[in-house]
Amino acid sequence: MKQLLFLIGALIALTACKEVYENPPQALVRATIWNSSTEAELSSKVSIHGIGYDNYWVKDSTIQKILLPLSPMDTSNYVFSFDSYTDTIIFIHTKKLKYESMETGLYYEYQLKSVDYTKNRLDSVEITDSLVTTIWNENIKLYLHPLSSAIN
Amino acid sequence: MGMDVTRPFLDLWTKGNRYGTEFSVDMELWPNLFPVFESGYDIMKIKTSLIDYKSNGSYSRLGIDYNLLQAEHETDKDILFVGLRYGFTLARQQVNNYQIDSYWGPDIGRFGSQNYSAHWTEFLIGLKGEVFHNLYMGWTIRGKVKIHQTDLGLPPVYFIPGFGKADKKFNLDFTYSIFYNLPWDFRKSIKGKKTDNKK
Repeated sequence: MKQLLFLIGALIALTACKEVYENPPQALVRATIWNSSTEAELSSKVSIHGIGYDNYWVKDSTIQKILLPLSPMDTSNYVFSFDSYTDTIIFIHTKKLKYESMETGLYYEYQLKSVDYTKNRLDSVEITDSLVTTIWNENIKLYLHPLSSAIN
Repeated sequence: MGMDVTRPFLDLWTKGNRYGTEFSVDMELWPNLFPVFESGYDIMKIKTSLIDYKSNGSYSRLGIDYNLLQAEHETDKDILFVGLRYGFTLARQQVNNYQIDSYWGPDIGRFGSQNYSAHWTEFLIGLKGEVFHNLYMGWTIRGKVKIHQTDLGLPPVYFIPGFGKADKKFNLDFTYSIFYNLPWDFRKSIKGKKTDNKK
């Protein structure tokens, strides 16, 4: 009887566990913030949202490294706020559909073609690695003017 | 003639919804050697918030079992056997829809029906015993080694009917079957022929 109960329990456990699926990985742009004058790493109070999107991807976080999702369209248009100075950054990219598994699903990897941006707090943007994969290595460097010389 | 009673319940221990049917025919054509033909149909479905996948197809296996037991008398048909199979399938898969979620909102797509084939070999060990007159039950444990499958590109073949998950080169499987022995006694006919020859 005990063995039968154990068997039933094991079967229930098996069936209970079997429908747990992981989410697919995400390819994200990894951006780092640098001081354009000293070329040293810089932390900034950052807020980010997509143009036309009310919800923030990052809200008032003091950070030096940023992970950004790209759009399934050909461009990803973001509004960045660096210490209350606002810039627009437009990523122009291509995408490639990747398969993880039938259990987890599919995802996109991207190749950055170019980056357009406004120059308020931003001094320049450098693409260090155009391939945006699930490894999240550094893709772009954002060079910011020091706060004292930033144009409002 | 046999039917694998585990196939309709594969869903209980496999990921996704997998179920099927399988029938087999074997015959002791030579002493202790049983040519076998097995044929079945497998369905695999995965439906989550991110993907809706279906694969289905029929498969067949040809092979032979070798009985390791020495029959104590001519009516003793219980066997402990090792076997070899060659399996092949013609199947199709379809991703009815998939969804990629991100900050920018869901991106939805689909893949049309994809036909594919695969073939493999199986090494097995099993037992078959008579529970009632001419009614047998038995199990096998099978090691399946993939030989080849169609390369579909994107999405790749996920499931091979009769074999299992396609991303693995080797799959282990278990079957439990019931058999009905058609009342034709091969051993008697062989013995009869030998006796006739002696005369």
